[in-house]
Amino acid sequence: MNADEIDAQIRMLAAERRLPPSHLARWLAMDPASRAAMLDIARVIRLRTGQLMTALETLEEIAVREHVTAAGVLGRPEIRRIAGGPGSAPSRASALLEALRTLRYPLLKKMQEQIRSEVSALKLPRGISVVLPKELGSDELTVSLRVRSAAELARLLEALDRSRTGLTRIIEMLGGKR
Amino acid sequence: MKFDLDAVLVEHGCAGSALATRILRALPRHVPVTHVADNETREATRPASGARDPFGAGKRRMVIARRKTPFLMPCHAGSSRFACCGYLVLTLASNCPMDCSYCFLQEYLADNPAFQVYANFTDSFDELDRLIDNARGRSFRVGTAELADSLAFDSITSISRDLIDFFASRENLTLELKTKTDEIENLLGRDPRGRVLVSWTLSPAAVYRSSEHLTASPTARIAAARAVLDAGYRVAFHLDPLIAYPGAERDYLLLIDELLDTIAPKQISFISMGGLRMTPRLRGAARSRFPGDPMLCGEDVLAADGRFRTFTPLRLNLYRTLADRFRKAGAEIPAYLCMEAASVHESVFGAAPSRPAIIGNRLARD
Ligand code: SF4
Repeated sequence: MNADEIDAQIRMLAAERRLPPSHLARWLAMDPASRAAMLDIARVIRLRTGQLMTALETLEEIAVREHVTAAGVLGRPEIRRIAGGPGSAPSRASALLEALRTLRYPLLKKMQEQIRSEVSALKLPRGISVVLPKELGSDELTVSLRVRSAAELARLLEALDRSRTGLTRIIEMLGGKR
Repeated sequence: MKFDLDAVLVEHGCAGSALATRILRALPRHVPVTHVADNETREATRPASGARDPFGAGKRRMVIARRKTPFLMPCHAGSSRFACCGYLVLTLASNCPMDCSYCFLQEYLADNPAFQVYANFTDSFDELDRLIDNARGRSFRVGTAELADSLAFDSITSISRDLIDFFASRENLTLELKTKTDEIENLLGRDPRGRVLVSWTLSPAAVYRSSEHLTASPTARIAAARAVLDAGYRVAFHLDPLIAYPGAERDYLLLIDELLDTIAPKQISFISMGGLRMTPRLRGAARSRFPGDPMLCGEDVLAADGRFRTFTPLRLNLYRTLADRFRKAGAEIPAYLCMEAASVHESVFGAAPSRPAIIGNRLARD
């Protein structure tokens, strides 16, 4: 396919998906290889409108951050594995968006993983829940207890007390101290 | 003149003003000057519909107009009529000839982007005199950089001279000029009598190159600070916005080293720090004007205050690293965080922030 044919296909897909004009314009503003790579992946994993918009936005931001092209990003092994891998189109579409988000927010993703693994290492009993701030957008940790009896409360408080060091470490991580 | 102008518009009523006379005398010949009726300024400066970058075009159209509303206002952060920390905003211009990709004016002045200077700016001195008459014994800090850079275009307006002379003669007032320029010529020949503080926003070279278009280089800003310090002014610095790009920590530490090599910590009145924060509207405007700027694509998330900010652990870690470097420099430089919760301040500095009134009084009297 030549560049004109690719653009025609992009317009057709955009019309089918009712992609907002601003997003179509962003797509068409990409370099030819990126336009084609995006068209390819959008078709292969049948991205829905919202997914297509998110993918275009995220790709554009990764490209600006890393001084690379969208085609370069879509050609990375972890993305190609998703595009060509097994699984239903919807599950591959979510995996693609997640992978793009990991590329877009590398430190955030890493930090979230580290803190989540710290939380699971605490092995807190049922009845205690630890909720991290959304997207680590604050330093506030929510710890809640669900109890039905005084004995249960005592048991959970003891468990919390045993986890004091680990919880402190998590709070420090949220506060950027580690 | 260091910045290009496409045109100057003068309201009829301001044509004979001292400010218009100064500006027209200093203006390069190629800049066209148009006179407009007093009530037509807004219309005359409205960007053509469909203009590609109306905000950018507005920056290059200077309007000499009469300000019809008070010049003096409480700072945004203040809750009562006059800010509790005694910080007041004096609006002597609106918009800025420089073009930082993250600048909040892109949102705030989106509908009225012309670069306005006010021919009747000396009326602000009457407002200030009334203020100190009505609040005997109190000290006030007055800043001119709310909607503009304090010194951009000072080479053609020379407003700083009038300001310095006025503030130098008022015991209870401190003037704060804030800038990203090195337009200090008008400052050097005057005696501020300790009543004028000049502050610079500092960013590492990577941010300067990527985002702070038409500003003076960080090295030039530090050199300008040294020069005004030697001329009797107080100096302060804002690491705001702090941008957490890859390599930021190293670059900011090098910048601090460069600053402290040039200016001893004890000569710095204060340091403020504040992470990049953008409302969704500002972020949209900034990215559409500067689509290739990686500094606008940081690891920012929507925070509880409705602004995009660098995710918290990364932001706080950067604050703490820089605060430590200042602490290790020996002298206690008063430092504060801009637009952060008290808990963040406590986490970074190990103590809750002083009440604004205490900070303000100290800065006004020191
Ligand atoms: S120097 Fe300040 S006012 Fe001027 S564009 Fe930059 S941020 Fe905005």
